[in-house]
Amino acid sequence: MNIPDDVCDKPSGICMNISQWYVAGIRSAYIALSFSLLLCFPVIATTGENRDCQESGPLVFGVLPFISAEQLVFRFTPLVDYLSDKLKVPVRIETAPDFVEFARRTHEETRYDILFTAPHFFTRASQKAGYRLIASVDSPEMWAVIVVPKQSEIQTLQELEGKRLATVPPLGLATLLARKTLFEAGIDPDVDLDMVITPTHDASLLSSYHGVTDASALMQPPFEAASKKVRDSMRVIARTESTPHIPISVAPWLEEACAAEIAALLVNMGSTPEGKAVLQHNRFTGYRPGDPSVYESLDDLLSR
Amino acid sequence: MKSASLFQSLRFRLIASVVSIEIIMLSLLVWNNISIIQTTHTDRLRDTATSMIQQIARTSGNYMVAVDYATLEAYLGNIIDYQELSYLVVLDRDEHAVIALGKFPTQPWPVLEAHPAQVRDGVFDVSDVITVAGQPMGRVLMGFSLSLMDEAIRKSRTRGISIAVGEIVLTVIVTVLIGLGLTRRLGILAAAAQEVGKGDYSIKIPVEAADEVGRTASAFNYMVTEVSNRTRQLEAAEAQSRTLLAENRNLVHTSLNVQEEERKYLARELHDELGQCITAIQADAESIRDLSRGGDTRIKTSASAILDVSSRIYEVVHSMMQRLRPGILDDLGLVEALKDAIAAWQERNPDTQCLFNVSGDLASLGERINITVYRIVQECLTNITKHAQAGNVTIALSRTTDRLLLDMKDDGQGMDVSVPRSGLGLIGMRERVESLGGEFSLDAREGEGLSIMISVPLVGEEAQA
Repeated sequence: MNIPDDVCDKPSGICMNISQWYVAGIRSAYIALSFSLLLCFPVIATTGENRDCQESGPLVFGVLPFISAEQLVFRFTPLVDYLSDKLKVPVRIETAPDFVEFARRTHEETRYDILFTAPHFFTRASQKAGYRLIASVDSPEMWAVIVVPKQSEIQTLQELEGKRLATVPPLGLATLLARKTLFEAGIDPDVDLDMVITPTHDASLLSSYHGVTDASALMQPPFEAASKKVRDSMRVIARTESTPHIPISVAPWLEEACAAEIAALLVNMGSTPEGKAVLQHNRFTGYRPGDPSVYESLDDLLSR
Repeated sequence: MKSASLFQSLRFRLIASVVSIEIIMLSLLVWNNISIIQTTHTDRLRDTATSMIQQIARTSGNYMVAVDYATLEAYLGNIIDYQELSYLVVLDRDEHAVIALGKFPTQPWPVLEAHPAQVRDGVFDVSDVITVAGQPMGRVLMGFSLSLMDEAIRKSRTRGISIAVGEIVLTVIVTVLIGLGLTRRLGILAAAAQEVGKGDYSIKIPVEAADEVGRTASAFNYMVTEVSNRTRQLEAAEAQSRTLLAENRNLVHTSLNVQEEERKYLARELHDELGQCITAIQADAESIRDLSRGGDTRIKTSASAILDVSSRIYEVVHSMMQRLRPGILDDLGLVEALKDAIAAWQERNPDTQCLFNVSGDLASLGERINITVYRIVQECLTNITKHAQAGNVTIALSRTTDRLLLDMKDDGQGMDVSVPRSGLGLIGMRERVESLGGEFSLDAREGEGLSIMISVPLVGEEAQA
């Protein structure tokens, strides 16, 4: 089989090596399989004839603590209520004190039936605990931004040298992406500048907004969701590489049928007014069938 | 008897009243305070429990969502040290105890109480739902022991009762002391008033303070001084009045004596001089009448007319002499003179029966007594004729060893002795009797007749007679 060394998608400007091309092939096959499943499950899900999830008992919806617990509950309660209602089984939100503990529980405990976590955490969960991707947030890719106050003299990443950069916790996607970007710009974040860890994206943004730090690194969605006053006061000096959007996976002990039922509910959520309201609450346009291969490149990000 | 005097004691009543009021008011105060303390403590415990459990429920939410029980337990471990907290249990959404601290109860979980006042088992059990973003994440159960609160209430109650008892004792002591001081000074006032009542106006009460009793003592001293002055003035006026009265009486007695002497003199002159002349005229008139017999009749007629006129003059003169000085009194004594006077009065008042009783030896009573008794009887009979319209009159004259007694009664219309009289009859009778050292009394009521009694002492020869 003649496999080109590099495959470049000209319009998007993204080039893949052979392994990436291979992964893309698997991804296509996976998507096709997922679609075939999803075509079967909408009717089943809406009629409630499938009782696999009900037999699984209460389901735990594990969410990465990327925002405060209260905000998490507020944000995902409509979704779990929707799932509970459709699956006819209680679905409960759970999170963890921090990223490390969440990852540990994901890898070592059979706690989360449904996993809503960052893309780079999913790859590890899949590898270590066998979580299976069932859907992804159907939105454009995500990236992190490094911002400074508008009146700041800092114009380039190189000018961050010797400055204070606020970030989310070390395992946060924004931190990993920002570190990678800094490295690529010739800046060693562990040596050339002072990384200030803040608990959330908002905290990271506000620290430079208030002048506590010189710059902030955070994911682009929370930056866009920040208040206009804050957002307009900041200037983006760098954008990291993109990552696929949030994956939703299920635990390996969950029956395949149940997993398919959940996936169908998510993917078809936008087809009902009720589902649309849930999506609108989460500021998502919808869910699409999951493709594990798009997350494989993130494994490299975690290994840095 | 002793208790009766005890209750009449101002000191006892003062102390008893104050102590009773103190006991009642302090009992109410203590009861009120205990109620307030109890309410305050129970409300405070309820508010504390509510505040704590709400805070814990609110704080625990994030830990429950994150299933971070270890951190939550570490956090709650500090709270369980709170003295009144008996137990603290955190239940998850399935009512499973995920954290249990203190002396926590076993299932079934205790019945919850809304207020410590409803507690029966000594532990105030409260609960609150743990919510995050409005979603229930579990429940907190807390038990608050009432022992500390009960101990605080008991101490407050003991303190309140002790203060009340102390105040009552102090009140009793102070009231007794004030009562003693007050009643001692009132006693001095009472004793002084008694001395003043006995006539001792020289007494002075010491004014020990400027309070009400002190002012009363000052007023009392001023009053005693004024009473003393007024009494001296009255005594002087009374002495002067007595002197004047004595002089007046003396004057009256002298006047009466002079009047009697003058009457006696006039009677004697009328008898000796005018009587002799009338007798001579009558003798001459009879001689003329006898000599004119057989002669001119006009002479005889004139002589007879002279005899008639002279007889008439004699009767008038005799009557005047009787009124001025009844000769029979000097000739036959008091009893006969009274009988004569009564008989003459009876003739003039035939419709009234007059009974005259005499007892004892009434001879030689003396000129003054005889004329006094005679004049009194004479005046009484005149008054009966003028005013009494009596049917019966009784006159009793008697004597004892040393006194002469006269008792005159009639059954006429009597008189009102309280109405002042313009006549001098009664006054004259009283003066006559008192000039002899005797006593005069009048007893009369309107419509019930009148009674006059005199008692005259007999002295010297009058008594021996």
